[in-house]
Amino acid sequence: MDVAFPPDRLLLERDLAAPDFRCGEFNCRWRLVQLSWPHATIAVSAPPRSDAPSEYAFRFECSGYPYVPVTAQPWDIQADSPLNAAKWPTGTSHVPAVFRPDWRNGECLYLPCDRHSIEGHDNWRTEHPSRLWNAERGIVGYLEQIYDLFHQSDYSGVRSA
Amino acid sequence: MSTITVFMLGHSRGDLVEGLLNSTATVRDLHDVLAKAGIDVDGETHVFLGDAEEPVSKNLADPLDHLKDGLRIHVTRCRRVATTVNYLEHSDEHRFAPGARVRAVKEWAVRKFKINPKDAAEHVLQLCNSTKRPSSDTTLQELTDNNTCAVCFDLVPEKRVEG
Repeated sequence: MDVAFPPDRLLLERDLAAPDFRCGEFNCRWRLVQLSWPHATIAVSAPPRSDAPSEYAFRFECSGYPYVPVTAQPWDIQADSPLNAAKWPTGTSHVPAVFRPDWRNGECLYLPCDRHSIEGHDNWRTEHPSRLWNAERGIVGYLEQIYDLFHQSDYSGVRSA
Repeated sequence: MSTITVFMLGHSRGDLVEGLLNSTATVRDLHDVLAKAGIDVDGETHVFLGDAEEPVSKNLADPLDHLKDGLRIHVTRCRRVATTVNYLEHSDEHRFAPGARVRAVKEWAVRKFKINPKDAAEHVLQLCNSTKRPSSDTTLQELTDNNTCAVCFDLVPEKRVEG
């Protein structure tokens, strides 16, 4: 019996199989851990820091993809549960501004491309135009922002270190 | 003989194309794979492997070096991309290979303008006359039209997400 998948799921699966995402996997920028609709768990690599992991996982909620932005929650792959706040990534300025366990109970990242965080932040549309959700770029655009925060910003390791 | 997965970007199309290449491939084999991907190579195009400084040989029988899984292959009319970076009252230019990434341009600019590491982390490259800030992994080829072979950036402060 054929099972009809919803279009948002099919479009996410299309993007996860597309060269832009796969090229990131081959170059160890990120890897797909699990797809369990409407969630996709993806680990993003981080540079070496004392007592810090080599990657952080995020569980993306993707319903409505790609026309509705996704939202991402730091995720503990082993426990299959939200990542303990002590294990969240941090830094001196930009990284702690984005990875805020106090924001919406740690259920999303404080980024303009995040579905929940953009709510009520219309000022971000002019202040951070390059960080907004882009349906054409899809989930890769969100992953690139996380990757660059780890590799091009002030990332220093985990909060508890 | 094993195969590797490669990602090709041609001057005639804007999206990456995935393909397979023998790990012992020659230039001729590479041209065949590019042709299958719909990417033409002619006398005016250069083929670059990854961020290599020099293009692949024009001799079809030559073996390819430095092949690895996930390699990006750039087919472009630009042998070099004249890259300008403006920072405060300073401006400088460097000619990068088309496969060079925005990350490498920022590293060059940080050295050139003698920016300390803390300030460097607070700045990003923004395309001139726009609000576009390409991710660090973006290659210069993706930012050119393959005719002008030039890119201009402003190195600007990165505003914290807050409010």
